[in-house]
Amino acid sequence: MKTTMTGEYIKEMLGRGVREDGRKFLEYRPMDLKVGIIPNAEGSAEAYLGNTRVLAGVKLVPGEPMPDKPLEGNLVTSAELLPLASEEFDIGPPSPEAVELARVVDRGIRAANVVDMQKLFIEEGSVWNVFIDIYILNYDGNLFDASTLAATSALLSARMPKIEEKKVIREGNLGKLPTTNIITSSTFGSMSEHVLLDPSGNEELFIDARLTIANDERSVRAMQKGLSGSITPKEVEQMLEVAFEKSKAARSMVRKAIGE
Amino acid sequence: MQKIVVPGEKLEDKPLRIDEAFTEDGKTYSTIMGMYDDVRKVLTPLEGLWYPRPGDDTVGVVQEDKFNVYIIDLNSPYRGLIFAKDCNEDLMAGDIIEAEVKELDKTKTVILARPRKLIGGKILYVRPSKIPRLLGKSNTMLRQITQLTQTSATVGLNGLVWLKGGRIDAATEAVATVQNEAHTAGLTDRIRAMLERHR
Amino acid sequence: MSTSQDKPQLIIDGKRLDGRGPGDMRRISIEANVLKNAAGSAYIEWGNNKILAAVYGPREALPKHTSDPEKAVIKCRYQMAPFSSLEDHGRTGPNRRSTEISKVIREVFENVVIREQFPGSEISIFIEVLQADGGTRAAGVTVAAVALATSGIPMIDIPYGVSVGKIGDQIVIDLNKIEDNYSDADVPIAIGARDGKILLLQMDGDMTNAEIAKGIRMAQEAGSVISKLQTDALRGPYLKISEKYDADDPSVPK
Repeated sequence: MKTTMTGEYIKEMLGRGVREDGRKFLEYRPMDLKVGIIPNAEGSAEAYLGNTRVLAGVKLVPGEPMPDKPLEGNLVTSAELLPLASEEFDIGPPSPEAVELARVVDRGIRAANVVDMQKLFIEEGSVWNVFIDIYILNYDGNLFDASTLAATSALLSARMPKIEEKKVIREGNLGKLPTTNIITSSTFGSMSEHVLLDPSGNEELFIDARLTIANDERSVRAMQKGLSGSITPKEVEQMLEVAFEKSKAARSMVRKAIGE
Repeated sequence: MQKIVVPGEKLEDKPLRIDEAFTEDGKTYSTIMGMYDDVRKVLTPLEGLWYPRPGDDTVGVVQEDKFNVYIIDLNSPYRGLIFAKDCNEDLMAGDIIEAEVKELDKTKTVILARPRKLIGGKILYVRPSKIPRLLGKSNTMLRQITQLTQTSATVGLNGLVWLKGGRIDAATEAVATVQNEAHTAGLTDRIRAMLERHR
Repeated sequence: MSTSQDKPQLIIDGKRLDGRGPGDMRRISIEANVLKNAAGSAYIEWGNNKILAAVYGPREALPKHTSDPEKAVIKCRYQMAPFSSLEDHGRTGPNRRSTEISKVIREVFENVVIREQFPGSEISIFIEVLQADGGTRAAGVTVAAVALATSGIPMIDIPYGVSVGKIGDQIVIDLNKIEDNYSDADVPIAIGARDGKILLLQMDGDMTNAEIAKGIRMAQEAGSVISKLQTDALRGPYLKISEKYDADDPSVPK
């Protein structure tokens, strides 16, 4: 619940150099990752970021290619802010927040070529559609990083169905979904001149601006600034630097979870 | 002997009037998860909700300022109301207040009186069924926490707890421990040991 | 239900495809209080089914016209995740099937929740099927009942759900997905554990009166096992904390 007191308490603590939950400004909450928890899905992973919990599932379905890319597969990413995840989430069509979340995760995955789309061609007029569904199970801030973590890990651990006699085979001896890269993201919130990595649910009620940076080992692949406040070019530079540094731990967690 | 009971579990083979229980065909059953003391015939909720009664202390959040009345969020199915004429404070949406239940009207709206604005500090959400344990017999548990941490506290029976000053982190930890271990014996002693150890 | 020629033989030498006998249930595990934000929650694994349930409320019923001045209204949504089945990607959003299931589950809980204590409010029950393998509405009732109990909302009973079915001339309990697809009948049932009353009953297929009666008896027998798993899941976390401390001197941890 948004109360004046919570905002004042958070700001007072920031003035003393600590966050409400005792973290440093550029520190993540405990992160965890479990892959393969929904064996019916081709790929699945659940990401934990403090009390935020996100489940991503991957399904592959044959379909028509896009007219401009007849030899490549398609990627379709959706996110659902399930009403069981928070008092604030309602039943109904996807909210602008859910659409933004899905699109930002999708952009990072596309830009980093996480999935090798060229290997998803089946035959003329038929390619694999990769559906990524992001399920928010408990909300406590920073859905962007948790969702990217879950979606990337679900893709990297997904099996590749095959087609035999015009039927899709999803079980048995299958290869892996062809992937080429790992993407993770780092989200920052700014609140009265302070920059906070991985804002919690309480902090998200009071931050003025938000920046999500998705990067792989080499370069930045996607960014999204959110909320009605602004950030300075200098802050962006600082955030980029921190994002590269912090993404190392997230990437190695993904590698470990998928057994690399 | 105390035992943990679940909704629908038989407490007695005879019909007894017990809080949070119901009778059917001459027997008494629990409606909630609780600790049942079959000697004293008392059912203490482990999981339960707050039912407002006149005189209850509450802590709430001002939701709306509607000309002659303030709407208060009490973190419960009941909406709180303060008439501007009963209010000496200048309240705004988002403010946290302490207030006493004056009465319940027909629509189960809680009419509050004597509001006091709480300034500074922080707010915790505790399950209402754990609040009696946080207070303790004649407020012993709460007094122990506030004295050992030098933190001032205001506890709403509706589950909101306000803390300010002193060793607020230690007090927060103590409140969390009471919430998790409310059903165990020896809790007052363990909380004292915990707070003295960190001093 | 299918009458096609490619129907697999579901029972061979008295054993079902997964090795169970006609009266054997799949393995069930239940965990209470798994989600931080919800007023009550629980997770169930029932065979290969994986289902989360959460309860919010009682809270002010919105929009206002949905409220009842006499008692709380219960809102229930059962939903299958698009990645929950081994087949294609499912469609998101409500469909006729999930709308009907949400309704019959809601009616189960309207029966057991003491709604008169919260006039004008709403109680929301969300059931998310993360992985489906037959019998999800029965498992959904079972897990939602545990979630409600953890929320502190008063109830006169804890209902459980289970399905029975008919394969050839055999009455069997707890159909999995492939059995459900090719069985001769499917009967999802929910029963109040305390009073034994039937709260949900649906049927689809071809059964005699005697077969239905037998099916209900099998559901009741299974129910005593399911009920115990529900109450163990509720009591367990409390007992675990109590066990940390010495019974004779609980002022110090063991």
